[in-house]
Amino acid sequence: MAELLLLICGGVVAGAFGALLGLGGGVLIVPLLTLGFGLPLREAVGASLVCVIVTSSAAASVYLQRDVANLRLGMTLEMFTAIAAMAGGLVAFLVPDRLLAVMFAALLMYVALTMVRARDARDNRDAGGAPNGRDSGHTSGRPNGDSSGEVSPEAAERAERPSGGAEPAGSGGLMASLSGPGYRVRNLGRGVLGSLLAGVVSALFGVGGGIVKVPVMNLIMGVPIRVATATSNLMIGVTASAGALIYLFRGGIDPYVAAPTALGVFAGASLASRLSDRVDLGILRLLFVAVLVITAAQMALRGFG
Amino acid sequence: MKAGRLERTVGLVLGAGAIVSVALLAIGIAGMIAAHIGPLDRPFPPFDLQRLTVDLASLKPAGFLWLGLLAVILTPSIRVIASLFGFAAAGERRMVAVAVVVLAAICLSAALGAGG
Repeated sequence: MAELLLLICGGVVAGAFGALLGLGGGVLIVPLLTLGFGLPLREAVGASLVCVIVTSSAAASVYLQRDVANLRLGMTLEMFTAIAAMAGGLVAFLVPDRLLAVMFAALLMYVALTMVRARDARDNRDAGGAPNGRDSGHTSGRPNGDSSGEVSPEAAERAERPSGGAEPAGSGGLMASLSGPGYRVRNLGRGVLGSLLAGVVSALFGVGGGIVKVPVMNLIMGVPIRVATATSNLMIGVTASAGALIYLFRGGIDPYVAAPTALGVFAGASLASRLSDRVDLGILRLLFVAVLVITAAQMALRGFG
Repeated sequence: MKAGRLERTVGLVLGAGAIVSVALLAIGIAGMIAAHIGPLDRPFPPFDLQRLTVDLASLKPAGFLWLGLLAVILTPSIRVIASLFGFAAAGERRMVAVAVVVLAAICLSAALGAGG
């Protein structure tokens, strides 16, 4: 009973952290289950994929009903994330557990560095006197396009609109059909490459892959950050489910662990969307970076040790 | 189906899927508590479609947990199917083809997973 409560509470914390900082819970759930509960890495990744799908479905539902997510662009790109996730899921069962742990540690360090750089960029922008009527934390350190994409709808609502890079919609053809009001999608080929990478990352590590998708859509494809975040969230469901099906049929999902964790993550993400106005995201982000670095070190030790 | 309306419909499908999934998982967890099953108890019940119906009929927690997890994993696929019908109704052939490819990729994942 105590273990069950701890698992649910761990899920709540991971879900809340993730939603407040614009990350899915995946980067925290996998270490929580492996380092905290001693689960094999692959079972932790399987459980994490389930959590990622639940939060994606709930958040994408809101994004779509608010007409924020670009359904056509998302579905076009998720053809590639799904195929890559399938490949990633298969590879995950071939890669030694220790190597996977080291790779996961590298991913955590990358996320931590991205968040530090996001903070620096925001500070520089503020120092430069850029208009900043809102609390800087509300853009969640997403200077170059929200490093994750798995954010609460409320957080995304507050995300700043892009200016540079987005072209006005107008001409016909495929790109026009994928574009939205006020922006025109470009560089589809590079977007496809980014989607392939996001799919592999998602299935290998049990994360949503938004850390790749959002910057690619925003910086390379010219999609506004708010739309990129919402669209990434939409895509995460299909991407993660393609990976999760591999784990499901290969015995990589433990229902006794995945269910309470998913419930906790869902509750935590829902709670966070209501608390986001009252939390100092700057301090939370620093704390999160510290947690990521410590966790990365522990995962690396697990891999090398 | 008009653009915008399709998005809202697909959004409702996703929201309903998330709620149903979480409700099933919650029932399964309540069953775990009632049956004194810990999350780290081993071995955990394997995924088996035939056993799933038996477990559900006998109200075993594993039945609800697996049904909830299946609902979680299949909700995005149901969203793609809903989109497919919406695009077909709107005459958007290119997007219909995209939806078919996405579904095919998901089915292939399941087949490869089951085949391994």
